[in-house]
Amino acid sequence: MRSVLVLSALILAGFALSFAVSEYTLRLLNMAVIAAVAVIGLNFAFGYAGLISLGHSAFVGLGAYGLAILTTKADWSPWLAAIPAVAGTGLAAAALGYPLLRLKGHYLALATLGLNVSFSIVASNWIELTGGTNGIAQIPGLTLAGYKLDGEQTFLWFGLAVLALLGLAALAIHASRLGRAMMAVRDDETAAAMTGIDVTGVSVTAFVLSAIYAAIAGCLFAAHVHFVSPDDFNYAHSITFLSMLIVGGEGSVAGAIVGAALLTFLPEWLRVLGEGYLAFFGLMMLAILVFLPTGIAGLLRRWRRPALPPQDTAAGLDGAVSR
Amino acid sequence: MIAATQNALSATGITKRFGGLVALADVDLTVGNGEFVALIGPNGAGKSTLLNVLTGLSAPTAGRIALDGRDVTRLPTHRRIRAGLGRTFQHGRLFPRLSVVENIMTGAANRAGRGEAGLRAHALAQLRRMGLERLADQPISALSYGNRRMVELTRVLACEPRVLLLDEPAAGLNLGEVEDLMARLRAIRAEDRIAVVLIEHNMGMVMRLAERVVVLNFGRKIAEGTPAEVQADPAVLAAYLGEGAAHAGR
Amino acid sequence: MADLIQLLTNGLALGSVYALAAIGFVIVYSATGVVNFAAGQFVMLGTFAGVATLVNAGWPLPVGYAGALALMALFGLLFYAVVYLPLGRSPVVTIIIGTVAIGITLQNAALLTFGSWPFRLPSPVEGMMLEVAGAVIPVHAVAVVVATAVLIGLMWLLLNRTALGIAMRAVAQDAKTARLMGLRVNALLAFTWVLAAVLAGIAGLMLGPMWFADVNMGDPIALKAFAATIIGGFGSLPGAIAGGLFVGLAEVLGASYVSSAYKDLIAFGAMILFLLLRPQGVFGERIQDRG
Repeated sequence: MRSVLVLSALILAGFALSFAVSEYTLRLLNMAVIAAVAVIGLNFAFGYAGLISLGHSAFVGLGAYGLAILTTKADWSPWLAAIPAVAGTGLAAAALGYPLLRLKGHYLALATLGLNVSFSIVASNWIELTGGTNGIAQIPGLTLAGYKLDGEQTFLWFGLAVLALLGLAALAIHASRLGRAMMAVRDDETAAAMTGIDVTGVSVTAFVLSAIYAAIAGCLFAAHVHFVSPDDFNYAHSITFLSMLIVGGEGSVAGAIVGAALLTFLPEWLRVLGEGYLAFFGLMMLAILVFLPTGIAGLLRRWRRPALPPQDTAAGLDGAVSR
Repeated sequence: MIAATQNALSATGITKRFGGLVALADVDLTVGNGEFVALIGPNGAGKSTLLNVLTGLSAPTAGRIALDGRDVTRLPTHRRIRAGLGRTFQHGRLFPRLSVVENIMTGAANRAGRGEAGLRAHALAQLRRMGLERLADQPISALSYGNRRMVELTRVLACEPRVLLLDEPAAGLNLGEVEDLMARLRAIRAEDRIAVVLIEHNMGMVMRLAERVVVLNFGRKIAEGTPAEVQADPAVLAAYLGEGAAHAGR
Repeated sequence: MADLIQLLTNGLALGSVYALAAIGFVIVYSATGVVNFAAGQFVMLGTFAGVATLVNAGWPLPVGYAGALALMALFGLLFYAVVYLPLGRSPVVTIIIGTVAIGITLQNAALLTFGSWPFRLPSPVEGMMLEVAGAVIPVHAVAVVVATAVLIGLMWLLLNRTALGIAMRAVAQDAKTARLMGLRVNALLAFTWVLAAVLAGIAGLMLGPMWFADVNMGDPIALKAFAATIIGGFGSLPGAIAGGLFVGLAEVLGASYVSSAYKDLIAFGAMILFLLLRPQGVFGERIQDRG
């Protein structure tokens, strides 16, 4: 219940901000909302099931390119195009997940990184389909019940509604037997199998859910910016998504949203520092990782419930690390 | 012992090699319906390896495993659990990010058809039966070692197994907790008629609970019989004396 | 034939640079368990340390090289203190993000210092060409291959024949026991970082005359070093060398015979295939997952 309240508060805060800020900030807020959708997705794979994916941006890209190609080359409506774009991405994740998810830790990280790089190479060079490095322009925007969602403010309202729905869905999954199974798999695969959980099946499901959220974020991106190019989905964005999740606090939907917003705005705020702002950004990230290893959500959890007794067994230590 | 027409668990000719090392050599283990079997042997005798093979964590080099007459040799672990096998670990492995009741619910989820509320009710009922309901909403990190092991036992019981494999359930427990554990195991057997395979170094516990004892040494079965028979077996004595005083303190 | 000789030489030279980058990555991983995503920036810094001493300061070659490598050694020490010490015991994801973050800082610091214009780093054998069976090949490429072979030999001697190297391997295998044996574990770990930085520095100095030195060159090098490491076998030094040479050759030959657009797909495709079919790589003995 508390997580639903926090989610509602975040959505309302975004809605309130939409009346108070400049066009430029509105654009950043839209970017933050789109990133938040992708990061909530990544939270299924990493935050719940513990799968380190550095290829999340490729799934965002698959969704975005799917929508872009179907709307510009086949003249589909973006609403209709989003369905095969998202479903196709989910299928691709399932097909990749079965062989790939036997890998763990940094092996999985490097495999998914390789996948993202391969996606970028194909997107840059399959010119007939993707337009190569020039990308695809003039992607039509969304129209809802006769209203065009083409202004930054109206698009933000729509984006917030999507974010609210997907956030609620994520919370519902978190509290379901699938959610418990994902967390059990991350905590201890062997013990999870020993309670009858299909470890491979649950991992692939988490990966597919994360890809579906990523593809929805990609569709939002394509419909908002009206333009996609390979650079929008390179592996650096995958690392950014993972950073957002860690900074916000993995394992938490609200943390995913806060992390996405913070890392969207932080570089902009640091611009006042002049040319070297990205150097400061890197150092700040390092400081956050060192001083807030459980992210912002973890910090708030500790304030709320300060007196957890220390864990006294080896199993407890493992838990503390993955927490 | 009542002769069962069909064994709850039957493992035949189990052999496990790691490279050149033979961890298990042609071991047979059968457990009748509701029977209580203890599996003993010095450290390194292959007891845990046998549990790993039975539960599908490692594949046997040769041999066949059947649950209720159904061949499960090639099934993955989770399918064996759903087919009625249950196991606890030497040091109790719980999911630290889930609360006590949620841990139990992962086990209960094997029996399909219970909605979320039903799962919770079933898990709470299991906790109540074990006298642990006051811990239901605690995080795992708040539990004592003894309680962790009892919660793990509750979780496996929530899977409603037909055969329960217990890997040193008394290790690390104090005397009072061991007595409590033994009383619970007796009660569970009386109520559920679950067949039990117990690995335990605590010989007092083995002698008081087991109907039949199987002794492993160097990956081979060296003796099998009632507790009294096994205690008198010279091969068993030799195996344990050979290990010196390692278990004197237990 | 002449073309092939030329391509093979260039491929081996590029592969040597990747191999050195991969070796730096591997010795750090084996000794400290850190998956260093800033490894590519280490090579970039090596190139720019050369730009600072040879181009900007105009020092003569031997002095300039020594100065650049001394800067890299200092950088390795700084990285040990500022990044490894606070972050080294974190979960693997935190380490990945942390090293990426510090990589962003390094790249941006280089951009601020040197600007975005590419530099041309001189070679001691600038402009010299060699004719072999009708093929004209740059002496620099041959020198890179030879220098890398010599370095690998020295590394082997260091790790197998000196007390320092044997102590390093002891720490890599079991830091706790090594500490009990009285080894100065922290000093050895620091030395590992210094060694990795110096190797990356040499790679950067050799790469400088082959590519234009550009502050964005780190990422592609890191990706190739990762691919080399996986193909050769994670944590294996011979694997890093073989993997590096394979990736370099695949890039150069692939660009010429397959497609310059898809040349990099060979290395990454091979990396993913290896991960799926033989995750221990060519030389790895078994997966030792520290994640």
